[in-house]
Amino acid sequence: MNDFSSRFALYWPALIDGALTTLWLCVTGMLAGFVLGVLLHLIANGRSRAGVAFARVYVSFFRGTPMLAQLLLLFYLPSALGMDIPPLVAAAAALALNTAAYQSQILSSGFAAIGKGQIEAASVFALGRYNTLLHIQLPQVLRLTLPALISELIDVIKVSAVVSVISITDLMRVSQQLVSQTYRPLEVYLVAGLFYLLLTSLLSVLGSLLERRWRERC
Amino acid sequence: MNELIGYLPDFVDGLLVTLGISLAAAVAGLVLGFALNAARMAVPGLSALYRMYVWLIRGTPFLAQLAVIYFGLPVIGLRLEAVEASILSLAVYSGAYFAELFRTAWASVPFGQLEAARVHGISRVRVFWHIQTPQALAFALPLLGNQVILTIKESAVTSIITVPELTMTAGRIVSTTFSYVMPYALLVLSYWLLTSSVAVIARWLGLRMTRHLRG
Repeated sequence: MNDFSSRFALYWPALIDGALTTLWLCVTGMLAGFVLGVLLHLIANGRSRAGVAFARVYVSFFRGTPMLAQLLLLFYLPSALGMDIPPLVAAAAALALNTAAYQSQILSSGFAAIGKGQIEAASVFALGRYNTLLHIQLPQVLRLTLPALISELIDVIKVSAVVSVISITDLMRVSQQLVSQTYRPLEVYLVAGLFYLLLTSLLSVLGSLLERRWRERC
Repeated sequence: MNELIGYLPDFVDGLLVTLGISLAAAVAGLVLGFALNAARMAVPGLSALYRMYVWLIRGTPFLAQLAVIYFGLPVIGLRLEAVEASILSLAVYSGAYFAELFRTAWASVPFGQLEAARVHGISRVRVFWHIQTPQALAFALPLLGNQVILTIKESAVTSIITVPELTMTAGRIVSTTFSYVMPYALLVLSYWLLTSSVAVIARWLGLRMTRHLRG
């Protein structure tokens, strides 16, 4: 097992496993973060003064502190309060809470782009706030902001590498394990970097394809 | 609680290390970014190389880059101390972001000005320094603070390779006191305070240094 290709055959299955964990974790965090981000946007634009202040502090806090520090706090806080949270749940929750702050900002611009007339028309038809949000606003917001949301998912994937410190076997952790088996840090970490690059590049291609297709249609 | 107050000096030390490596890396990254952008414009053949650099750095997590530099480079005989490796990787990392910021800033200068300068026979070097740079920097200045904040946030990752900065300090306090919440809460608050202060200072500086443009 001296040449690179046979070693790569050893890395390959483990790294694919890790990449799937990373992807799965990030997509989960992203989806939960989307729901939280919509809520956060609604609170930020709601009537309650306290709500507006909360949303502002929330966004400032999660954008102003490192993901690693947020993760450590979130992982150890429940156990100090006597709850036992599996690392995977803590990681997904930390990613969701973090990306919600960024997504609320992205979504705001989407919501702002929808004509006021549509909302007025919806209220004339007595559609109700919930239905207006779900059937009129969100589909358009999602379409308007999808390229930005995809680039946020890319950021989530990159920032998710730190979940390896709470022993989640994501792409980063798996490569650390491979390094301790093979003692070939340069090679393994470069290959792991390539895996990340593949994930983020594919998403970025997808994002620009979507953007181009929708611009043609408009 | 009381014993935590005893750890406050450690926290201040950690804060200073965080600030030190972040600022050193941000300054190096700023210079690197400026040079990359200038090189891209001066030598057209470099622009593919430039795009490749930005793609590699912005497409991978900082932790992976740090791992390559700190754990990987010794394989080819380049052994760096944890702090050196951290500053180097943070500089390489933020350099890509600074370069992209400068690229946008230079693109913001209207092309007609460059054509006009060329018609008047002004050399390319003079166009760069006397026409593009002042306007581009005025564009970039208010945005530089964000990049510094990004660098400060990423510097937390260097705790993984045992750089005694804020996050590492909090982790050490946790492992000696077995109280988890307070040190980590204090940690998050310290970062928040730090990045908020940088944001305020950057905004103030940005407004001040572009005052002449608003008349």
